Amino acid sequence: MSTAALLPMAVVLPLTAAALAPLLARLDRRLPLLAGLLALAGAGAVLLRALPDVLDGRPVGTRLGGQAGVIAIVFTADPLGTLFALVTALVGAILLVYTLSELGGLGGRELGGYAALCLLLLGALIGSALTADLFNLFVWFEVAALASYGLTGFFLERPIALEAAFKILVLTTVASFGVFVGTGMLYARHGALNLGILHDSLGVATGVADLVALALLIGGYATKAGLVPFHTWLPDAHTAAPGPVSALFSGLMVNLGIVVLARLGYQVFPSSQVPIMGLLMVLGLVSALVGAALALRQDDLKRLLSYDTVSQMGVITVGLASGTASGAAGGVYHLLNHALFKSLLFLCAGAIVHRTGLTNLSDMGGLARRMPVVAVAFLVGVASIAGVPPLNGYASLSLIHHGLETTHQTIPAVLLAVAQAVTVAALARAAWLAFFARKDPPEFTERPRPGMVTGFLSLAACCVALGVLSRPVVEHAMKPAAGALVHGDLYASAARGKVTPIPAPDVTLHYLAPSSLLLTLGCLLAGLVLARVSGRVVDAPPLRRLAALHNGSVNDYAALAAAGTLAVALAVLT
Amino acid sequence: MIVGNYLAAAALFCLGLHTVLTRRNLVRMVMGLSLMESSTYLLMISFAYRAGSTAPVLLDPPHGKKPEQLAHGNVADPVLQNFCLTAIVIGVAVTAVFLSVVVRVAQHYRTLDADRVRAMRG
Repeated sequence: MSTAALLPMAVVLPLTAAALAPLLARLDRRLPLLAGLLALAGAGAVLLRALPDVLDGRPVGTRLGGQAGVIAIVFTADPLGTLFALVTALVGAILLVYTLSELGGLGGRELGGYAALCLLLLGALIGSALTADLFNLFVWFEVAALASYGLTGFFLERPIALEAAFKILVLTTVASFGVFVGTGMLYARHGALNLGILHDSLGVATGVADLVALALLIGGYATKAGLVPFHTWLPDAHTAAPGPVSALFSGLMVNLGIVVLARLGYQVFPSSQVPIMGLLMVLGLVSALVGAALALRQDDLKRLLSYDTVSQMGVITVGLASGTASGAAGGVYHLLNHALFKSLLFLCAGAIVHRTGLTNLSDMGGLARRMPVVAVAFLVGVASIAGVPPLNGYASLSLIHHGLETTHQTIPAVLLAVAQAVTVAALARAAWLAFFARKDPPEFTERPRPGMVTGFLSLAACCVALGVLSRPVVEHAMKPAAGALVHGDLYASAARGKVTPIPAPDVTLHYLAPSSLLLTLGCLLAGLVLARVSGRVVDAPPLRRLAALHNGSVNDYAALAAAGTLAVALAVLT
Repeated sequence: MIVGNYLAAAALFCLGLHTVLTRRNLVRMVMGLSLMESSTYLLMISFAYRAGSTAPVLLDPPHGKKPEQLAHGNVADPVLQNFCLTAIVIGVAVTAVFLSVVVRVAQHYRTLDADRVRAMRG
């Protein structure tokens, strides 16, 4: 079979394994997770087979469901989607291995259900990355959402899991109405769901109804992406879920929203007529700053990490919204990096909570001696986010900054640097309090299990590898990814079935450029100073008011999301 | 009158949203979300409406029409009606999950007041 015809298998295999998992659990309780690993390996193999063509600028596409032109669902593997799908399969497999060792003590029914939900979520993410059909995107959004509800409320270790499940249900359901109505409005006006046909039709004329649809779609997918003010479900869901589930949510699921926002901005709506890039820039900057500031205030380790996810999603959005090839390449690069280092950090946090039962940083301290493996893994993750040079965060952040500087977007660049410094402060404070603060650690000995060490090692190794090999990664993967975004019309033509080679734009990573080295050094120093005085800073009235907005009331959170959608609509329409 | 449909859908949507934003009872919030969902179905069906059209059952042309007239948009748009069917199926699943979470909350906290189920803040 040809590569194109095999493409749907990347989704079919995980979904099949998800359906079989509860049945296999009756035979042996480890079997569902092993079947999941096999399915993800198969999906990865299919994607890898398509990868050379895709990175060469020739998207691979296939058509599902009939020949009736407009109605058929089209899968188009462009570099952005394929890379995200590959990382999803890879990190998903690592998380399954980790789960085998960490939660292996669970019974057959639990492991079967857990594997089914995980694979459902992973299949939906791969599907959303590959599809070029607006309604199909809504379906994957809903499948991912259903799986995430199940996973949030799956482990009732702590009763807050129920509270978190209710909040994620309400907010994601409201978001899904936005996505549904927006999709329907675009179809009713243009008679097409294919992103390529929509791109052409919208390029001819963009009416008021299209703009309203755009606002609803942005509101819906920004909720999934966890951008402020739609982010309120995210910290709660992460706090309540166990480590591997948080890693799955934060490393992979939120990226679904970002990928779709990138597609809407570059490949569907003509940015010449709609101020979509400016809007995404504002959303991204606000998320980056608010997320980092709230992370600095947190005492709960997992909550701190999840606010940092909000911040990192903002950083990625800023890179994409810069409108430059360099910024887009940096945004995609940071998306992949974030999947790796945030999964790593959440696995570490999960291991700490699981072993010691401690959730608050103020109760921890001195864990470096008790858990050396976890400590090293955590520090690698923190250094990656902070952008310490040999690691992966440095390369993607300097690409984003390069994109902003070459187009003289000074204010976003400065705000991004501020957010970066605050992020460094929050994570440095967390690492210090948890691992090195002078305190008698609880009496227990760490017995690292093989699956756990495999998970830590492979994720940390990926972080280092993507950093050390940044030049070839940018040259061979990020340039084509940026190309498919910047040349949205060529992606559109591929989605319609007419593949034209997409030229790679001119993106160069100046690895040792003095400006990016100085910027990184400045952010690190400012961050460390801020971490030192954070005790006094976090009680500043503006920060306290910001935190008071997150009052835990699901009504208020829904109101915040509705107000956010209204604001987006106003911004788009005026 | 199709404008009436749009207005009704908007009114239902706002009514549901009002319930979600102001009621603290978890079951009422689920009902509000259900109402919002139904309003989106009404909206989709109204989008599919075309003046003088018939239902999109394409086995035989309707009485007094020739088969080729069907292709000229003389039926309601079947794709939008399919949207609705898909969304109804998803909606059933979501409502089931919703209600089971509410039942577990009621068992655990012995209350349905959203204001007393808010341990996580800040």
